[in-house]
Amino acid sequence: MSGQKKEFPITWGMVIDIDKCTGCGACMASCQTENNVEPQREASNKLRATSWMLVYELTNDKAFPNHDIAYLPRPCQQCGNPPCVSVCPVIATDKNEDGGIVSQVYPRCIGCRYCVAACPYHVRYFGWYDPIWPEGMEKTLSPMTSVRPRGVVEKCTFCHHRWTQAKDAARVAGKDPDNLDDGAYVTSCVQNCPSGALAFGDIKNPKHKVHELVKSPYAFRLLERLGTDTQVYYISRREWVRKLGDNYLKSE
Amino acid sequence: MGLDRRAFLGLVAGGTVGAMFTPIPWKLIDDASIWTQNWPWIPRVPKGQVDYVATTSKLCPAGEGLKIMRVAGNPILAGGNPSHPLSCGGVSALARSEVYMLYSPARIKSPMKRNGKTFAPITWEQALVEMAEKLGAAKGAVASISGDNTGTINEVLTALTAKLGSAGSFMMPSEATTAAKAMKLMGAQGQAGYDFENADTVLVLGADIFETWGTSSRNRKAFGANRPAGAKPANTYVYVGPSRNNTAAVCDQWVPAAAADLGVVALGIAWHLLKAGATSNAPGFDTFKAVVNGGFGPEDVKRATGVAPETLAAIAKALASAKAPLVVTGSPFGQGLGAAPVIAGMSLNMLLGRINKPGGVYMLPELPSVVPGALTRAAMLDGDLPAFLKGVESGKTPAPKALLIYDANPAYGLPEAATMAKALEKIPFKVSFSSFMDETAALCDLVLPNSLPLERYDDVATPYGSGFCVYSLVRPIQKPICDTKTTGDVLLGLARKLSIDLKFDNFQQVIKEKVASLAKVSGGFVAKDVMPWQVAAGKPAPALVGGDLWKALEAGYAWTMVGQAAQTAMGFAAEVVAKAVKAGKPATATVLAPYAQLRTGTPVTGMPCQDLTTVPDTELLGDTTFIRVNSETAKTLGLKKGQMVKLSGAGVDCQAKVHIFESVMPGMVSAPLGFGHTAFDYYSQGKGANYLSLAAVVEEPGSGLSMWIAPEVKIA
Ligand code: SF4
Ligand code: SF4
Repeated sequence: MSGQKKEFPITWGMVIDIDKCTGCGACMASCQTENNVEPQREASNKLRATSWMLVYELTNDKAFPNHDIAYLPRPCQQCGNPPCVSVCPVIATDKNEDGGIVSQVYPRCIGCRYCVAACPYHVRYFGWYDPIWPEGMEKTLSPMTSVRPRGVVEKCTFCHHRWTQAKDAARVAGKDPDNLDDGAYVTSCVQNCPSGALAFGDIKNPKHKVHELVKSPYAFRLLERLGTDTQVYYISRREWVRKLGDNYLKSE
Repeated sequence: MGLDRRAFLGLVAGGTVGAMFTPIPWKLIDDASIWTQNWPWIPRVPKGQVDYVATTSKLCPAGEGLKIMRVAGNPILAGGNPSHPLSCGGVSALARSEVYMLYSPARIKSPMKRNGKTFAPITWEQALVEMAEKLGAAKGAVASISGDNTGTINEVLTALTAKLGSAGSFMMPSEATTAAKAMKLMGAQGQAGYDFENADTVLVLGADIFETWGTSSRNRKAFGANRPAGAKPANTYVYVGPSRNNTAAVCDQWVPAAAADLGVVALGIAWHLLKAGATSNAPGFDTFKAVVNGGFGPEDVKRATGVAPETLAAIAKALASAKAPLVVTGSPFGQGLGAAPVIAGMSLNMLLGRINKPGGVYMLPELPSVVPGALTRAAMLDGDLPAFLKGVESGKTPAPKALLIYDANPAYGLPEAATMAKALEKIPFKVSFSSFMDETAALCDLVLPNSLPLERYDDVATPYGSGFCVYSLVRPIQKPICDTKTTGDVLLGLARKLSIDLKFDNFQQVIKEKVASLAKVSGGFVAKDVMPWQVAAGKPAPALVGGDLWKALEAGYAWTMVGQAAQTAMGFAAEVVAKAVKAGKPATATVLAPYAQLRTGTPVTGMPCQDLTTVPDTELLGDTTFIRVNSETAKTLGLKKGQMVKLSGAGVDCQAKVHIFESVMPGMVSAPLGFGHTAFDYYSQGKGANYLSLAAVVEEPGSGLSMWIAPEVKIA
């Protein structure tokens, strides 16, 4: 861990309303196709599958009928204090001015997987296989995101390319690209969630909805006590969900 | 190349240790990485002009409007269309797959004819000649099956079938078929439509409304709209069903009850409403009251279902005191429910005075049909396909001489798969109009591939569950990738060959005429600034600017209408309820409680290639699917976590692994549907088991409808 937190004027953040997520997986499918993750014929082997966005099933561990479940969509948490950055020997990953988004430079990554081991949220994926699309399907690749070769580490980027596009659009419209309207830049998973469970915006910008949402008494972050200071917030009215999110032991 | 990437990196790493402090190795590593990642077989991303076009999803039954991103004219990404009332910007994992399915390895690339055990490609002209000959000879005994609930294509298909001498035109069984039967028995006019947007208290009996039931994307948007993150929700949803499924996971309350008991629970709530003075002028009220009071008191219901008296009383109170309560009834797995539970659920809406009211149930009129001789949707939904095929199998019903199968996969998607397959074998000539090599196509004599939704003209008219009449356009935004044709065009070509006049030359004309007919329906408008639920709530409907309708539809807007079919005789159908809903003793055998999810596709699509990743390892691991039981049931049956078991029912066996999941009722085995394909591509094939095949079909007393809502299974 770097132990040194940098502050940025623009801090992109996601707020996930767990009480609304039905666990449908549309966010996962959206992310995959937006970011050119190849369809994986071995995807039922979860140890080798890649999904930048992953929906976990949480349970309160009680027996029927007191059992309860919740779904927790998990993109890269974009830590303010990212454990993955300090362990990278080639500075392929970094946290910089870019809205506080933890970047990942694929051509520089040597696939040593220190970052995979360092990330407490398991958001980083090592490409075990060559990305191969069924014949013809490569025509559906998005031009916005490069295709990663086997042997490098990849992860959610908050659909960084969409920010670039939003800034360009703002410039064309004569607006300030550093002060985007709420909703001018949203990620693919946020846009497509049919439940409206996800929100996205600049946490520091009072005009953005997420600015207020993160202050909700029901908001929490994952493993908050590790001090990673993540930019993804979760909201649930259920106490057991909030406790689980911060990895409380059963005795606590 | 003799040196692979890993070995190369090893060499570099060996030399780096002593050189950490000069910038040169860093630069070298950078270059090396670039070099080692520059494999020629890694696809390059496309370049070209980006544009967005609108259409509607046809693969996903929820009818979402789509915005498709194209690069240099090629569709790249499907996202939800924010201006479409059934999408509001959301999209299901299934609708998102419209683009990728264009290149699915399971696509049928050209027309094919059976040649012994395999298929040989033929030309479209040969296919047409062959079909004309065989269907001409089969005249008087031609049947058809459609799996498309919402398309005008059904008019072409049923009109042609009728002219050929129909042995029956059927729809694949779904929530829509059950509900249509219920409405018919109640003497109601129109299709039941649920106004979630204006409802404040919603009781969901069984229906998986946020996953596979009806307009699920729209349902979720409506649910979420009044539930700001972290704040007190402005609406209340209660789910009643055998497991805490995707819908129950976000509802305010889950009331465990077997799918077979949904009608009993409804009548138990009716008992409270009647006691509190609810009354109705509708025909059959007195009989209904007598039935309810005669056997559905709180203790009766508790004995039969296990639902506590105070739970029922609280639900009844919440409904009675709500401003806009709504009751929705459906099957937890989207099919197989009898008509009686739907009638019982609808009776609650009647007692609460919720018919044709904002936030209640709108009885939606059918849109005008344009092909002469076509069956109405109501008539088509009236057929009972499982009963028909079972009759054919047993010899009670004469087998049709020919069968046309459109967008349907009965060999996989029906209960009692073994019986159904035998029935299909008895039909001498079968044609499948499928886009993918599915289980049914593999049994057919001719396979005539339909172009996919992004390659054809098609439409979506008022999917079941929509609270308003809605019509949206599906239009080709790319040329057919394979040698496929729009089935509508093929059928019209066939009609010409057989000298049958269906009025139209091609399917685009049919759609154009349909749109023209909508422009004349009074009360219809394009949902743009005003949405239909706002009109239902009292906002004036905007005028329809006539000539522009086609253009507006092409731009991705939907035509909508807040409709109410006039009701003259909608009643309680109490005789049916009396015969079919019984507060008996709870089942003692193990009962299968299947669930379905959009991410595992439909019988027609298989599992979309990108969606396999979204399936969790508690559902599918390797090639094995899991069943879910709670720990109490596991103990009773002697099952252990992760154990392989054999499920048997309807003369079929299926393998499964055991997952202990406490949100399933005792005595129930919850099982995912959508797996166990023997056809399609490697994303679907051989993954898990098809648990629907274990379900035996029984006849519902009172309605005569086929049902398979609570099949018993043996576990060994
Ligand atoms: S798309 Fe939305 S509802 Fe579905 S799993 Fe993702 S966050 Fe949850
Ligand atoms: S923000 Fe973008 S990259 Fe990250 S999970 Fe969502 S869709 Fe994927």
